[in-house]
Amino acid sequence: MPRGIKRIGATGMPFPFSREALAGARCAALCFGFGSSRTTSTTAVAKALPPPHLRDLSRPKNPNLATIVYTMLSSSPFHFRFHSHSHSHSHSPFPYPSPPSPVIANLPSLPRVPPYGGGGGCRPLQPPLVSYIPSLGALVPFPEKKPCCVLPADAAASIESRQGAWRGEHEEDEEDALPSGLRREWLPRHVAVIMDGNSRWAKARSLPTSAGHEAGYKALREMLRLSCAWGIRVLTVFAFSSENWLRPKAEVDFLMMLFERILRENIGNFLRESIRVRIIGDSSKLPFALQKLAKEVEEMSRNNSRIELVVAVSYSGRGDIAQACQKISQKVKHGLLEPEEITESLIAQELETTSIEFPCPDLLIRTSGEARLSNFLLWQSAYSELFFTKTYWPDFGEADYVEALFSFQKRQRRFGQRIT
Amino acid sequence: MQRVQSSKILRFTLGFFWCLLHLPVSIVHLGSYLIKQLLYYMISSGLLQKYQNLQLDKLRYLAIVVESEEAKNTTKIKQLLSWLSSIGVKYVTLYDMEGVLKKSVETDLKSSENPSVADGNAVASVHQERMTVELLSFSDGKGAVAKAASFLCLQYLEGDSVGYNKMEPVFTETDVTNALKAVGHGGPDPDLLLVYGPARCHLGFPAWRIRYTEIVHMGSLRSMKYGAVVKAIYDFSKKHQNYENMPQFVYEHF
Repeated sequence: MPRGIKRIGATGMPFPFSREALAGARCAALCFGFGSSRTTSTTAVAKALPPPHLRDLSRPKNPNLATIVYTMLSSSPFHFRFHSHSHSHSHSPFPYPSPPSPVIANLPSLPRVPPYGGGGGCRPLQPPLVSYIPSLGALVPFPEKKPCCVLPADAAASIESRQGAWRGEHEEDEEDALPSGLRREWLPRHVAVIMDGNSRWAKARSLPTSAGHEAGYKALREMLRLSCAWGIRVLTVFAFSSENWLRPKAEVDFLMMLFERILRENIGNFLRESIRVRIIGDSSKLPFALQKLAKEVEEMSRNNSRIELVVAVSYSGRGDIAQACQKISQKVKHGLLEPEEITESLIAQELETTSIEFPCPDLLIRTSGEARLSNFLLWQSAYSELFFTKTYWPDFGEADYVEALFSFQKRQRRFGQRIT
Repeated sequence: MQRVQSSKILRFTLGFFWCLLHLPVSIVHLGSYLIKQLLYYMISSGLLQKYQNLQLDKLRYLAIVVESEEAKNTTKIKQLLSWLSSIGVKYVTLYDMEGVLKKSVETDLKSSENPSVADGNAVASVHQERMTVELLSFSDGKGAVAKAASFLCLQYLEGDSVGYNKMEPVFTETDVTNALKAVGHGGPDPDLLLVYGPARCHLGFPAWRIRYTEIVHMGSLRSMKYGAVVKAIYDFSKKHQNYENMPQFVYEHF
């Protein structure tokens, strides 16, 4: 159910400048020469450092400046976390210190954490990067040191629902897995993304369009990982619209092959991470092999419950509404319903998203600077917070995601009579 | 003891540097806010020539979504309409969820000089000077689609009763569009939608009509500025000009 949110901060104080602070933090990163999401300097820094759980913090092995700075910050009472992006684009700026919060104990090494959190979705996860500067209000008071304990996102066996959110037994430790300033109870349950800008990203780098789509896939993988880690329940992505069939045939064929490859490559991950996959859209236009594979993946993952990944392929928001009207008319034809009894809730029940746990997105993100829905979830987005960013989709990383989530939490949202 | 003290000193030092880093960030934000306000003032004063002659070729239909609480401020609504009229916008759709605008604005517009009212349907159109104002509420959105579905079902059943072995009903997007027009909810798709309210969402504006609508959040209605409206329309006109020479099928691309 739609719910209102209040302005919040790490200490309950308002966050007037959090989004702008994040943008300013990026400027600060540039000033300090740590690069932006569009340069490789951040990747170079990250690659120079081994993953935190494999490092001996008391004895840095590479005595270069980056390692010295890292060691200094890691051994401080502040909670500095770093994440290696050696296998994908590094979209995040240099990590910034988080506000005083549960700190890492001065251990010689952190426990080894498998890259995808192990199997069954019940293993510890590598904490995501903390990469923004919170407001000054988060500084006071300084908390006491306590050991860091990274718990899996679904460690909360007993779930209490309160205003649509859930709290686990280890709430404080689970909040530790979130970037500071984000509160789990105020996170959106359903995030929808229009992944725009792959072609322009590639063109800006004099690369073929296929390279842009490949980079976009990596960005999607990262966003899925973060969504899993932060407890987002549903992630819907607009991969291919019904209008995209008009694009050059070579590009369309490449995209269909890419979708097929992505599904095949990640079947194991979906099962390991308990990700339920759904494909929405007019599948009749897809190649037969892709249709078959999509159905198999949906069937294999149907019992997974950690997060739902909804992929809109050959999807049209208007087409979704039209097919809902069509399904209702079939019920009318068979005498199950009278035409006068058709209401908007009946139509909502027949939409392609109806079987999703939370069918309506709380937050809808569109990248690449365009500010329109482009026929995506037209019905379902009535109360969605719209977040438009100029970043191209391949460059959309953790910092951008945090910014979007902050924007969601910051706005005072009301939904007419359903004010909570 | 020495270790504890050095730890405290290190903590204080890092905290100091953290504050030092955050201060310029806040200053940058404040500066950008002030620059924006200055820009709006300059636009309102007519100091910037490029905002004076807006190209409205691409802006045929403009929609305004107002949060229902703020929609009760009829003075601001009328001021906004007068601004849009002076800019030269020809068709404005006003929407709020609870129908506050339908009750308050429609009465005022009807009582103005030379009114031309086209009502009798769920949507009331009132002509004000040279601008058409369409007033909508939540019932004109999802409720209208339900009516259109009902209309399509009745149409199908009438056809079914005549023939036999009828095929299953197949409704296309065109069928739904025609059905919406038939039930009196066939308004135009707005090119630009300005949202006034605390939340950046369209609050249930008729979903069928915002397929390719540019959505801009303008903030609170209380703090609305003429310069901000002009800038939004100017930015929209510039944005669409960039795609003018591109083939239609590339207009929407990922």
